[in-house]
Amino acid sequence: MLIDLTENPDCTECGLCREACPVFQIQRQEEYSPRGRVMLDCAGLQTLVFYQCTLCRTCRIVCPIGHDPNGETLRSELINAGIETSANQTMIINIRLYGNPFGPLADGELPKVLTCC
Amino acid sequence: MDQLESLFQPTQVSNREETRIAYSRDASRIQGECRAVVWPETVTDIVRLAQWAAETGVDLVPRGAGTGLCGGSTPQNSVVVDSARLRHIDVLNLQLKHVVVEAGVPLDQLNLNLRSSGLFLPVIPGSHRSATIGGMIATNAAGLHAVRYGRMSDWVEEVVVVDGKGEIQRLSVGDRNAFAGREGITGMIVQATLRLTEIPKSRSLTLFSFEHLADMLEQVKQLKTNSALSALEYLNPHAAGLVGWTARHCVLAEYYSGEGEIRDPAEMVNLWGARESLSARLTQAGFPISEDPQFPPEALEDNLDWLMVQNIPVFGHLGVGILHPRFLREDARIAELYYRVSASGGQISGEHGMGLKKRHWASEALKAEVLALKRQFDPQHIFNRGKLC
Repeated sequence: MLIDLTENPDCTECGLCREACPVFQIQRQEEYSPRGRVMLDCAGLQTLVFYQCTLCRTCRIVCPIGHDPNGETLRSELINAGIETSANQTMIINIRLYGNPFGPLADGELPKVLTCC
Repeated sequence: MDQLESLFQPTQVSNREETRIAYSRDASRIQGECRAVVWPETVTDIVRLAQWAAETGVDLVPRGAGTGLCGGSTPQNSVVVDSARLRHIDVLNLQLKHVVVEAGVPLDQLNLNLRSSGLFLPVIPGSHRSATIGGMIATNAAGLHAVRYGRMSDWVEEVVVVDGKGEIQRLSVGDRNAFAGREGITGMIVQATLRLTEIPKSRSLTLFSFEHLADMLEQVKQLKTNSALSALEYLNPHAAGLVGWTARHCVLAEYYSGEGEIRDPAEMVNLWGARESLSARLTQAGFPISEDPQFPPEALEDNLDWLMVQNIPVFGHLGVGILHPRFLREDARIAELYYRVSASGGQISGEHGMGLKKRHWASEALKAEVLALKRQFDPQHIFNRGKLC
């Protein structure tokens, strides 16, 4: 279930979200942190960096005012502007042609075995 | 830039537009201009970078988590040196209660790693989730438990700094004046040996509220004589109302004993959560400018009263006289506050630093100190040019 987004105050750029972000933990660069992405959005950039957000919303949980990163909106704006990665395009084509994101499958082959952690 | 790129791995340097925008300001939101960012992974990376900067005259801006509120890490057509990949926690000496850490280690991560040893670093600024050890030393952070534990400089045994000559300096307690609270103007802090203390066995809280300032200050005086006291946080009625507390003069007292009224861990987490959310809530409520004057005890009543009359929300570490009044953008009353602080013998910057924001208010004595330090450690002014004064 999506978290209610009706109340989404402006980011104050305090930076308290950085360490909670799984993408920042890997990249260690400010532009990949939730605050960094807000700054890129404020500057009017449409960038592939927005695809790097996992949409996990951990940043919203730790944010002192509950700011939501709006990852879906940022991504949909990229799609509308025709900015996609080749991985995205391949995935969409595969879903349309084969009903799964991974492409053609052998008879009886499962696209992926999903397991729960 | 080509020359800079040739000094590092491709993953360690960037001048992409996304990078330059994301590093163009810190939590102060003072807008700057970033040429490029370097992510050093070793001390020799920083030495190479400092030597390059000395040759080219490019300004280097050391940056921790970018949680500073005075523009200390805001670049001015500079190359930002981000410590985010200097994250090793190297040596823990249980007997001496010392730990050796790299500058980019966030405080909460350090304390989480230390938990099993029963030790912790007790200097806890409001930004503890992200704040890095290097940034805390550079600003000489105080924070929520300053009434018991003092400032960061009290907990630093030794630091390793790369100075403006590209030389590695090992500075001990006696040289703390050269690095603690110097906002990166003497060089980039790479590593620190920190003193630690035992994690308290019990905690409790009491939330006091008062109609009159004088009554509150009298109570504070008594509380400060209690040896179990570990925090003494103040919220004036304007600030208290914002977190749902009674709109009176509120004091949150924490004890390292069971004598407080609130002992339930969940309830204590809620109270601290409300207090720690205050800064962002006040920004959201239209008071984005955070000041940090430090008043001597005898000047508190008069100045807290003035802030009340001005309808200015205030919170802060009352135990050590550091207040955080919050202002509107371009608020003319900020200058009046600074005059009041100077007149009362206090400090304009209690814990946030001077950065870009307050450099024009630096005293002649501070300017002279900075000049002497620059001559000694950074004669070509390659580190954090124009900051502090």
